[in-house]
Amino acid sequence: MPKPIRKLIARLPLTFRVLYGQFLLRVIDLEALSIEADIPRFLGQFAGVLIMISLLQVLGALLLLGSSPAPAAQLVLAWGKEQSLICDMMLVVGLIAVVSWDSIFPDRRDVMVLSPLPVRPLTILLAKVSASGAIVGMSILALNIGSGFAWPLVLAGSPGVLRFCPAYWFTMVAASLFLYCAVLTIQGFSALLLPRRVFLSLSALLQLGAYGLFLGAFFLLPTFTDLAEWVSPRNHRILAFSPPYWFFALFNQLNGSLPPALAWLANRAWIALGCAVFGAAASLILCYLRTMKKTVEEPDLMPRAGGLHWTPRFGGPLQTAIVLFSFRSITRSRQHRVVLAFYLSIVFAIALALTRTELTTLALRPLTPEFLTPTISMMALAVAGMRNVFPLPISLNANWMLRVTQISPSHKYLAATRCCQLLFAVVPVWVVAAGLSLSFKPWYQVLEHLAILALLGCFFTEVSLIGFYKVPFTCSYLPGKSNVQFAFWGSVIVLLVLALSFAPFEMQALGDPFRYACLFISLIAATFGLWALNRHRARSAVLYFEELPDQLITTLGLSSPPAMAEPGHGPITP
Amino acid sequence: MLDLQHVSKHFSGIPAVDDVSFCANPGEVTGYLGPNGSGKSTTMKMITGLIEMTFGRILFEGKPIQDDLIAYKRRMGYVPEEPYLYTHLSGTEYLTMVSQLRNLPQRESSARIDGLLRLLSLHDDRHASISGYSKGMRQKVLIAAALLHNPDLLLLDEPFSGLDVSSALVLRSLIQELAARGKVVLFSSHELDTVERVSTRVVILHRGKLVADDSIAHLRSLMELPTLEAIFSQLAVEQDTGSMARQIADLIRA
Repeated sequence: MPKPIRKLIARLPLTFRVLYGQFLLRVIDLEALSIEADIPRFLGQFAGVLIMISLLQVLGALLLLGSSPAPAAQLVLAWGKEQSLICDMMLVVGLIAVVSWDSIFPDRRDVMVLSPLPVRPLTILLAKVSASGAIVGMSILALNIGSGFAWPLVLAGSPGVLRFCPAYWFTMVAASLFLYCAVLTIQGFSALLLPRRVFLSLSALLQLGAYGLFLGAFFLLPTFTDLAEWVSPRNHRILAFSPPYWFFALFNQLNGSLPPALAWLANRAWIALGCAVFGAAASLILCYLRTMKKTVEEPDLMPRAGGLHWTPRFGGPLQTAIVLFSFRSITRSRQHRVVLAFYLSIVFAIALALTRTELTTLALRPLTPEFLTPTISMMALAVAGMRNVFPLPISLNANWMLRVTQISPSHKYLAATRCCQLLFAVVPVWVVAAGLSLSFKPWYQVLEHLAILALLGCFFTEVSLIGFYKVPFTCSYLPGKSNVQFAFWGSVIVLLVLALSFAPFEMQALGDPFRYACLFISLIAATFGLWALNRHRARSAVLYFEELPDQLITTLGLSSPPAMAEPGHGPITP
Repeated sequence: MLDLQHVSKHFSGIPAVDDVSFCANPGEVTGYLGPNGSGKSTTMKMITGLIEMTFGRILFEGKPIQDDLIAYKRRMGYVPEEPYLYTHLSGTEYLTMVSQLRNLPQRESSARIDGLLRLLSLHDDRHASISGYSKGMRQKVLIAAALLHNPDLLLLDEPFSGLDVSSALVLRSLIQELAARGKVVLFSSHELDTVERVSTRVVILHRGKLVADDSIAHLRSLMELPTLEAIFSQLAVEQDTGSMARQIADLIRA
């Protein structure tokens, strides 16, 4: 770190520096993912991904450098790219706002730990704001480190770059600040106005709502590249209520190329930015003055005898216990909810992107491969996403109870996990697909496709359970398991390719009863075969609750024989 | 009968429990004592099957527990030292889950859960999330979970931790009542007065080794000491406690 910055930091009060360091590592709470969550490493990886995206943008810019398209094409390129860069920035900041939800507000742990200490609420507030600001700042810098210079150069040329570049950076910072502050304002005023318990329940819904909104906006907002589209009354409403367009106008206002007809959008950006910053500041200050006291005064426990406490059954008692436990873990744990929402949002974003044109027509129309592909890929990715969420533990220390009550054979636990996959991944996707299918004809082909889809769901479930000898959410998760993420993203690509190849094949089968019967029977046979294999292997497997680093890697196999506990082939103990 | 034969547990070659042998008989309460770090909880975890022993054997009713761990787990109830629970569940949900994992009949277990929650004064808060429970309430949930299936062997690791006076008195009587009904009860505690009142026999562990295994009355007469506290101090406490207290007071004054 440069000496002047170190000197400046050393001048800050010690309390602030200590708190800032602590809060910086808790902006994104990874404790639920791993008992040894390596947060600096995670932040480093995150910044790395953003830098990589930025460098890919630079590559795109370099390909255009030197080409001299016609002015009309230049405008289309410039406006399209500007909107795309602003949308990317807002999506990244939106996702940060979602994953760091509540982190800027004092939680019960902060209040109970810090209140007895001689620390002023203002110091806590400043430390939290600085920590969150550092993460957002790092993201802005990482995402634009290359594209923030390359694209202004391509779009403005060498004479205009001096004005374009600062305008670009200011717009990115302003758009990010607006989005982050808007989220804080909504959260802050909800915390202030609602009783704490209501707020906590609503906060979870708001978080998911914000998540859906950011992703939905990113994938669904159209790109306008023609002035006629911008000034068209038909598009007035969407422009008036979509912040990315406001900041696009702001950028063009700052670089001096904004058509006067769009000045009102730039004005909206200024007003929105002011309101968001003021709202966030006011709500944060009020929260720290009022909510900290409220948090202490809040009783630890309120009797809750009312309400519906019906518990459905899913097969035997063990299956019911594990399905209900998994359902409650997903719905009540913030971290699990967010991670699952992340995977599901990818699934539905792909589906929306693929079916957007298909679903715009209201009249009944024949089934096409363009509709079959997204439904199949949705099914595959939902199962893959759920499989990725299952290993994330919840209250890892509490898994002793499952270990001392492990009186049923392992294949029954596998059956329970299968039930979770079917209920939480396959059934919801199938229902969505069935809903979307209503606008297609003939009905018998739609039913045939839904039957195939259900079978594919079962098949993907069996594939996902190969070697999975864990109870969902009860096994430790090793930090830095990047191979899991690579596996997921690899599977996304493979599954999309498979879905694209399978859809035309299925389309042909839908029109030919013999082919359809062959396909149907093949799928049943494959699913049943995998089911039998999984069941057979699970009979001799041992459930495991702790993952250990690979001894061969950590010790190079020099001090011990290579024999080591493998998942499913023996209990692993610390 | 629970029978530990030359049980040892080594962590990275360092013995945490070293060649421990003792028996816990049905109908009696065996107190398991030792200072912090003496290996009590490690022994308890080996008896529950949560960790594997390095050497030795543990037998329940004459059979090694590892021979049929599942059958053994069906008959064992365990209250761990730390109240680790799935705090996103309510008290009822947690106990229902435990009863389902133990494959208990639904109707019977519902009645038991309801009864235990009432008797342990948790009924009003049964639908509240465990995350809001106090330490004592969490301890009661653990006790209820350990008793739900009417175990023949009860392993209690610091069961009085966090309990209020009346709950502690109830638990004390309950331990004696269960032993009187023929169950094997092994419990560890630092509350020597309670151990003295409840236990028939005590096993004392020091630095992983067994230093005493006898009835309290016999130990008293053998060592010519009036209380269990005095016996424990002589066998397992190395420091001069008064001198230690003075050193701490001096240190914070300096």
